[in-house]
Amino acid sequence: MTGGIRSRLLWRALRREPYQLVRLGGWSVLEAAPAFLIGLAVARAIEDGFAAGRPETGLAWLAALGVTWAVAAFAARQVVLAVAAIAEPFRDDLLAHVVRGALRTATAAHALRPDSAAVARAGLQVELARDAFAALVTTLRGFAFTVISVVLGLLTLAPGAAALVLPPFAAGLGLFLASLPRLIRQERAYLVADEELTKAMTSMSLGLRDIVACGAEEQVGARVEDHVGRQAGAARAVAKVTAIRTAALAVGGWLPVVCLLAGTPWLVRDGAGAGVVVGALAYVTQSLAPALGGLVQGLGASGVRLAASLERITGSAGPEPGPASPEPVTGSVGPEAGAASPEPVTGSAAPEPGPTTTVRVLPPVAEVELREVTFAYGPHADPVLDRFDLHVREGERLAVVGPSGAGKSTLAALVSGLLRPDAGEVSVGGVPAHRVDRRGRVLIPQEAYVFRGSLLENLAYLGDPSRSEIEAVLAVLGADRLGDLDGQVDPAALSAGQRQLIALARAYLAPARLVVLDEATCHLDPAAEARVEAAFAERGGTLIVVAHRLSSAQRADRVLLMDGARVQLGTHDELVRISPDYADLVGHWKPERTS
Amino acid sequence: MRAGDRLVVETVRRGGPWPGVLAVTTLAGAAGELALPYVMGRAVDALVTAQPGAVSWLIGCAGVTAVVALCESFGVWARGASGAHAAARLRRGILRHVLGVGQAMTRRFPAGELVTRAGLNAEETARAPEAVAGTLGLLVPTLGALVALTLIDPLLTLALGVGLVLILLVLRSFLRVTTTMAGDYQQVQGEIAARLLDALEGARTIASAGTGAEEARRILGPLPRLRAHGLRMWRANATAGVQAGLVVPLLEVAVLAVGGFLLAAGELTVGELYAAARYAVLGAALSTSLGYLGGLARARSAAGRLADVLAVPSGPHGGRALPAGSGTVEFRGVSAPGLSVGDLVIPGGTVTAVVGRSGSGKSLLSALAARLAEPDRGTVLLDGVPLAELDRAALRRAVSCAFERPVLVGDTIGEAIGLGLDDDSGVPAAARAARADTFIRRLPDGYATSLALTPLSGGERQRIGLARAFARGERLLVLDDATSSLDTITERQVGRALTAESHGRTRLVVAHRLATAARADLVVWLEDGVVRAQGPHHELWADPCYRAVFGVEES
Repeated sequence: MTGGIRSRLLWRALRREPYQLVRLGGWSVLEAAPAFLIGLAVARAIEDGFAAGRPETGLAWLAALGVTWAVAAFAARQVVLAVAAIAEPFRDDLLAHVVRGALRTATAAHALRPDSAAVARAGLQVELARDAFAALVTTLRGFAFTVISVVLGLLTLAPGAAALVLPPFAAGLGLFLASLPRLIRQERAYLVADEELTKAMTSMSLGLRDIVACGAEEQVGARVEDHVGRQAGAARAVAKVTAIRTAALAVGGWLPVVCLLAGTPWLVRDGAGAGVVVGALAYVTQSLAPALGGLVQGLGASGVRLAASLERITGSAGPEPGPASPEPVTGSVGPEAGAASPEPVTGSAAPEPGPTTTVRVLPPVAEVELREVTFAYGPHADPVLDRFDLHVREGERLAVVGPSGAGKSTLAALVSGLLRPDAGEVSVGGVPAHRVDRRGRVLIPQEAYVFRGSLLENLAYLGDPSRSEIEAVLAVLGADRLGDLDGQVDPAALSAGQRQLIALARAYLAPARLVVLDEATCHLDPAAEARVEAAFAERGGTLIVVAHRLSSAQRADRVLLMDGARVQLGTHDELVRISPDYADLVGHWKPERTS
Repeated sequence: MRAGDRLVVETVRRGGPWPGVLAVTTLAGAAGELALPYVMGRAVDALVTAQPGAVSWLIGCAGVTAVVALCESFGVWARGASGAHAAARLRRGILRHVLGVGQAMTRRFPAGELVTRAGLNAEETARAPEAVAGTLGLLVPTLGALVALTLIDPLLTLALGVGLVLILLVLRSFLRVTTTMAGDYQQVQGEIAARLLDALEGARTIASAGTGAEEARRILGPLPRLRAHGLRMWRANATAGVQAGLVVPLLEVAVLAVGGFLLAAGELTVGELYAAARYAVLGAALSTSLGYLGGLARARSAAGRLADVLAVPSGPHGGRALPAGSGTVEFRGVSAPGLSVGDLVIPGGTVTAVVGRSGSGKSLLSALAARLAEPDRGTVLLDGVPLAELDRAALRRAVSCAFERPVLVGDTIGEAIGLGLDDDSGVPAAARAARADTFIRRLPDGYATSLALTPLSGGERQRIGLARAFARGERLLVLDDATSSLDTITERQVGRALTAESHGRTRLVVAHRLATAARADLVVWLEDGVVRAQGPHHELWADPCYRAVFGVEES
């Protein structure tokens, strides 16, 4: 599956710019011109020039060679640029792949939290892949053009010499190609072993205190030493195949020389002079052998690196989306359409559309209904919610409280349609939660999202509010000191509380009538939090608050207490009366707690 | 001799047969390479004019090429095998030493630094034999080629020298150009990465807003600029390549031209002209071979860095076992940097809280009790036995620790809790006591969930660290601020489990919260690195200074 992605990426990079390919081919011909001329020029310079007592003819041939070298050097520059013109879009593709994949993985239903280090590593791999790709294209192309030039040159100079040189060269090339699959396998095995070793050593170094405290020196030491041994073994295996590769290189590079010398008497009998022999030798030692060396290096090193990098990039970024548009088709009806929705929004008889063709619907009312909902993070995991029922009326304010890990955020994600239940139904105004149009509900999580852009862009992220509306809302939320609306926002320069205020103002400005705040006010001080919650109460619509402080629960119409398997629902006063756990909580939950 | 150089010498000496093989193949190969142009030139001359010795020159030529090829192949093998052997040997030594020293090592070298030293620097040091051989293998043929060329005609050598200077100049200007350009490129790269990381932090917002595609476009916005900088780098690269790629061929053409005139004058044979051209190319590689000298310098400095790691002393361990006891911890005249404990007894089986403002030495006191730090003076005893005299395994069976920021070691969560235990049957019970069982069971694979694939919150991490500590520590359990990231409810539940423990081991708890001190049997109050007072919480509470430790205002 991912192998298909890799070859598709490579293929697309090569095919996309046909003009660059033509340009590359043209300059390559010029770059390979010395490979064609070198033997011929040396032979003629000696035979017709210096050895014949006509040094000026000899000089003329050498000058021609020199000029050809100069042209070739310029052509080599153009070749690099043409390769760059292919490699840079390839890098763009890879980077886009990494970005889209990381976003997709992070926003996927079961994502717990994104691993930013893995993303950073993928970014580095993109650069490695680009360099390896460029090197590979350069060497493969250089080899092909050089060999063709040398063959033409040899045939022009002395066809007999071609017959002596080419068969042993082909034999060396064949040997190398035959050893290539094994070489690539061993190189990759080495890369993997080396990486595993680094990982094991990193984990050991980071955990040194803990390893010693647990008396696990022997256990961990043995494990890391195992990696050391495996890495060394892989390195030895690479050394062995590299030796074979070097031998193949020697056969292809040196055997033609010996054959040529051995056939010299025969060439001389056919009328060739010493100059012709030296010219043919120049072809072999100056062009063929270096080209073969370049190929060996290119395929053996760059090829392996490219394969490994692409594997990591496509592996870390998750699967490629289908050919369809990544945006879900949005076909919604306004609230005025009411129950006359054209979509059969309930009833399990309707065929479930695929994720890319989900038709989003704007629910007519913002009431939330969970019926017999069961949800677990995997088939082997204990359920977080087990046959859970909840009804939140339109316009109601519900606070959800409980210790960390009780499932509060999971509940928020289910109501917002980010997660889908394993069994049971979650619906908003009769519409299944995962099909609710984004204008119908808004979720503000604990980690407020603020991006580099103007404050206005950040605030208008979920809707299309006017400037005066924005200013009014900022005043209501007590967020009017965030700066100029057109000023650029640097998320890193803002405090956590300021970021939360921006996210809250954004949610307030959204048209959604169902608002879910998942500890969205945890970095605000209690007074600012109270002001925000009061403002959202004024705003109207249904409000579900995963509470960070108990004061949020006291302000709510009803409170949902979640603690492991026990779930209790009631008003604040009722819960204090009927639930010892809740009473306990009221006694202990101190307002200064922030995490 | 410096410790690093001793390590280099030892690496060569303990390299097995490989350094020897390397030396032989390198020298024989270098000699062959140097002889080859001469032999080939003579063979051409002899074969073309059909001299009587022609066949022997041909055989000689075949022989020399065979030697060169064989030496190269075996040399490559020997280089790889020698490096692998030496690196593994060095690494094993370092790993053992690092584990033996323990946390004192990370106080001296940060973890990343240790990995670099045991990884990259060990690799570089292991290349010492190869660097020596490689320098010889390149210097012999290049210097020899220059001598041979001079023997043919000094004029040729002069032309070559001028050319080499040109190459060096070109390379230097090339390097200067790329560093500034790379800076621009990396800046745009960083911009894209920062945007992506912001978006990943806001993944839940993006998922709920359904704006993934817009976000991808926004993140990739700087891509055209990245490409522009990238192409500029390629252009600088290509331009420098033109100059560098021209010098060697032009040099050869010049040598051929000068040689051609000598040939016309009858002073050179065609074969000698060929040899001269080859020697010119060989000699031009001088700058590369000088670069190889750097390899040896790198090996030496890398070895110095390894020697630094090996020089950190490791604390001794005795062989004594623990007598029967309740886990009484005794400090006798103990002092350590920034902390003077003096004499202090923590009665066996009690819950003892260590309180004090930050920087008062609480963590160091708990590390001394668990022998994760060594005192400068004095002795720490557990049930009457000095910790340093205890058998290492017996010590770790008896004492366990939980930390504020535990590092989880192992592939799965279950392994991380059972780290170092022979028998992990107690893991689920320990996890239940640490209130970690519920959330672990809710993970996709329960206890078998991969740690690497499961980002944990600070509170979850702490609870796994607590479970790991609860699963061991027969006599003494040390909790160093190990519940600070738990929410109040969970913290109270863990605290209750801790106080209610049935098997009565000693519990030493560093804490900031009032409730923890109130629950303890005994409180050790530290101030500015000394024990200010010791006693039950309710007795100390009378002191306003004590109350101030918990931020309780005077009323």
